Amino acid sequence: MNIKNISIVLTVLLVFIAALVLMQKGNYVDQATEHYKKTTDASFKGGQKILEYVNNSVDVNKLVWAMSVEALQTVKTSQDMAKLEAKYFPTTKGSNSIANKTRRFEATSAYFIVSNFDKVDEDKKNNLKTLSGLKSIDVGALMGEAPVAQEEEMPEGEEEEVEE
Amino acid sequence: MDKKKFKILAIVDGVLIVALVVFMFALKGKYNDQAQASVKEQVGAYKATVNTALQDQWKSMDQYGMAWKLVYATVTGAKTEAAFNANVQKIFEDKDARFKQLSYMYTAASIPAQVQNDIAAVGLAEQFLLKDEGGVKEIACGKNCVAKFTFVKGKLKESDYKALVEYKFAENFSIGAPAEFKFE
Repeated sequence: MNIKNISIVLTVLLVFIAALVLMQKGNYVDQATEHYKKTTDASFKGGQKILEYVNNSVDVNKLVWAMSVEALQTVKTSQDMAKLEAKYFPTTKGSNSIANKTRRFEATSAYFIVSNFDKVDEDKKNNLKTLSGLKSIDVGALMGEAPVAQEEEMPEGEEEEVEE
Repeated sequence: MDKKKFKILAIVDGVLIVALVVFMFALKGKYNDQAQASVKEQVGAYKATVNTALQDQWKSMDQYGMAWKLVYATVTGAKTEAAFNANVQKIFEDKDARFKQLSYMYTAASIPAQVQNDIAAVGLAEQFLLKDEGGVKEIACGKNCVAKFTFVKGKLKESDYKALVEYKFAENFSIGAPAEFKFE
């Protein structure tokens, strides 16, 4: 190879290396940007999901609390309670336990209340038994005192046996 | 061009190539360090923002839970200022009960225990009773949520916890999307 060819090859090589030097920064920026995006997106989505899950779940909790507090001030019978339940949760109904003189309302498996009544009334025409004389409402589940029940999704339209 | 000029060109090319290679390796180390530091700093700042939002929600939920317990106690118990004060103190100071209630709420929302523990590291809400002046008591019931109880001559005159009943969680807790990466 003569000196002419060598110098041409070296010039081409020089241009190539100069291009590499110029592109070098761009490569690092791309890599760093990709890593940053991946990490922060995961953090963003994870954080949003937590906020959303808690917000949605506590929305139900809030309704059960509000219903319980209103019930304590206005409800006298299990029929009154049923009406109040329908106002707060149109698709979910509670169920009476005549034997225990209680009515249980379960908005979700985590959030439920048990209303305690004083006596059982019986309609002699149709033998329908109802409860009257609301004494107290057990809000243990709202206070976190029930065994923990984990909700994957908020069940809707969940209906229980109704006796009014 | 004659042979001599090609010889000079070849020498100059050789020198420049060596210089550029040295320069390239020097820059490589510099860019690598810069990129790593930059990513670490910006990712750290964003994660801190996310954590702050989650901890904010945690503390607010604590206030929210305490507020409902207080409303419940006020509705079911004696309607006196003394009873109210005792309830506020009892609810606020019972940290085990507060944590239990919060943990129950987060578990019900399908938040894994490990994630709860990370968020809970911030501790519980520092404030509950916000104002206590002339029989008017304001209670924190979450971020941007205040419930008001008014007492006249030691007797409960008015309970205003409308803010608690109408509390819009989704409007109060959110996280902004990460900003674009900046590399100086």
